[in-house]
Amino acid sequence: MTSPRFLVGIIPLRLGLRLVVALAALYAAPAAAQSKATIKMGDNLPDRSNTWGAIVEQINTEFKAAHPGTEIVTESYPDQPYQQKIKIYATARQLPDVFKFWSFTSLLKPLIDGGFVAPLDRAAFEGLGYLPGALDSNTYRGQLYGIPVSTDFWVIYYNKQLFKDAGIDHVPVTLEELYALAPRFKAKGIIPMTTDGKDAWPLSITFDLLVWRISGQNGLPRQALERKIKFTDPVFVQAARELQRLVTSGLFQDDLMVSDYGAARNLFGQGKAAMYLMGSWELGLGADKAFSPEFRAAVDAFKFPALKAGKGTIDELMAWYGGNYVVSAASKHLALGKQYLAFYARRFPELAWDRQAALPAQTVKPRPSDTQVARSILRIIGEAKATSGTASVDLSTPRFKDDNENAIRELCSGLITPEAFVKKLDAAAEKAAKK
Amino acid sequence: MAAVARSRAAIAGLIVPGLCVLTFSLVVPLGFSAYFSITDSAGFGEYHIVGADNYREILGDEVFCRSLRNVVLLIAVTIFLQNPIAFVLAAVLSRLSARVSRILRTVYFVPAVLSLVVVAKLWVDVFNPTFGVLDKLLRAVGLDALAVSWLSNPRTAVAAVLWIIVWQGFGWALLFYYAALMTVPRELEDAARVDGASWPQIYRHVIIPYIAPVIAAVIVNDVISSMKQMELIYLTTAGGPGQLTQFLGVYLYQKAFVTGEYGYGNALSVVFVVVSLVLSLVVLRGMRALAR
Repeated sequence: MTSPRFLVGIIPLRLGLRLVVALAALYAAPAAAQSKATIKMGDNLPDRSNTWGAIVEQINTEFKAAHPGTEIVTESYPDQPYQQKIKIYATARQLPDVFKFWSFTSLLKPLIDGGFVAPLDRAAFEGLGYLPGALDSNTYRGQLYGIPVSTDFWVIYYNKQLFKDAGIDHVPVTLEELYALAPRFKAKGIIPMTTDGKDAWPLSITFDLLVWRISGQNGLPRQALERKIKFTDPVFVQAARELQRLVTSGLFQDDLMVSDYGAARNLFGQGKAAMYLMGSWELGLGADKAFSPEFRAAVDAFKFPALKAGKGTIDELMAWYGGNYVVSAASKHLALGKQYLAFYARRFPELAWDRQAALPAQTVKPRPSDTQVARSILRIIGEAKATSGTASVDLSTPRFKDDNENAIRELCSGLITPEAFVKKLDAAAEKAAKK
Repeated sequence: MAAVARSRAAIAGLIVPGLCVLTFSLVVPLGFSAYFSITDSAGFGEYHIVGADNYREILGDEVFCRSLRNVVLLIAVTIFLQNPIAFVLAAVLSRLSARVSRILRTVYFVPAVLSLVVVAKLWVDVFNPTFGVLDKLLRAVGLDALAVSWLSNPRTAVAAVLWIIVWQGFGWALLFYYAALMTVPRELEDAARVDGASWPQIYRHVIIPYIAPVIAAVIVNDVISSMKQMELIYLTTAGGPGQLTQFLGVYLYQKAFVTGEYGYGNALSVVFVVVSLVLSLVVLRGMRALAR
């Protein structure tokens, strides 16, 4: 017979055992889940069904197949909101495991200095066909921190059909010829050219390029940032005047200064604008199914024109390696993140060129089936006599980048004179140099 | 119960939860903000104490001054333009039949219930110089010279964003005034009319003094929402062209999270709090006097 006292003891024992089993099950659940790793990814490609976004999705699918149990969760926003998001995530120490970021000095370097980016094994990326200097562009204090994904340079895209309709049979090779096109397109109700004026960096790049076209000298903005020359020197005033003229000549869409990247791109893609001032990363316009087949067949690119009175030529290119992919130093899946990057580096160039979505930072082979715009992009880079990075956007402090863009906005809105603009730039450069 | 009310410990115990919420939601964040405002923090990584450097910079910051000016301008526009129009319309609505009044009130209130993103997108499209309906209308009636890029033209940008903000907030002011006007006893009006008062006199000496507390509340609300203005500017012009349409909320966000000047952004937010406090005190005092 079981004494009631014994029963009192046995009931808690049974309960205790159940508790132990339940706790063990609870403990075992995360242990089983641990074999499933979820990589959080961040990039600026919200459209996952087209060009770049579709390629990244395919790479993700292939990577997951090669690494069973791995999940990839992507957070994607348009360019500028995405950059802001990454900065906020860095502030909150919640960066994605793998993410895209740009402009080594002005954007990525502060993250590396803060210890947020994991160093990579350069040997894992050597031999993957990176172009000369591509990996160096993300090498800091002897360590590789990110892999650049594209070869970027400044061009003008154009719609051949709209050129033909306006009776224009050749692309402009001087800025004077470019200005002369504006009234001809406007007479047909077509916007001559679009770009992203709201974010200002395209205008900053154009300003640097104008300095080069005027002077024929490579790297003057960089020298001014290093304080070897001044932004108030006449060549910068001249370039500012030319940039202001470019904007006020009626070449761009009327709401240029509040037009963002997507709006500018859509105006061109929908055939409402004849030209689009942007980087070579937009060669995917020729394959973007969001636009009509007529547009895709008609899109092409030409070199940014020279100035009649300038010393520079059209074969001098503003070019750099862009869109770095990095791994967060705080990632719980550091090794997996690095494997993903190596996988990405192997697959991206082939897929990007195969789908004519981007010009990778790695070697590609031209094929007869390449789109017209892709062929032109390859020709333009092939004919380049000299290249230079984007000093105003990439080579200084985040503060200078911001000051520069604000001054550009004021200049292009006609709120300040070219003389006042260069003074602002010089004061900003002085401040940046002291940092 | 009376014993509880007299017990200091009980009173303290009842106050503590509210005090904790206030401390952690207001005092602690403000303390952090004040601390980071004296640093050169980028929001992450190493930073240094820079003393009052950020505050000194704010004193010479043209964009900050312009942001403040725009806030004051918006307050003025809402108080002296939006409110009188809303009041007059509310007065007219209060005299119409219930059915007509209900339909019109709904129409006027629709902008207030729309999402800010929808409002911003709507007006950006209306003001668009290429496909916007406004410029198309102007051109259709031969007013080509007036068809401009409303949001990016330096001469029209400020007015255009103010219009969007006022348009969106108009429904609230109208609703408050209408509700207040409906509470005015008819006897007061009748008595004034018997005394020979005209309509303007009835409004000036009877109705407006009667609903003065509501007017005060609407104005305080306008001042607060003008100071907090951020989303509509961010979604329409982001402060452009140049920095012409910049507002404090957008500016400090851009400084803290776009350009990586977290320390400076925090200094701006501290100044923002001080300015808001001063402005609120001034308005409350003024309103108290008006209500009296």
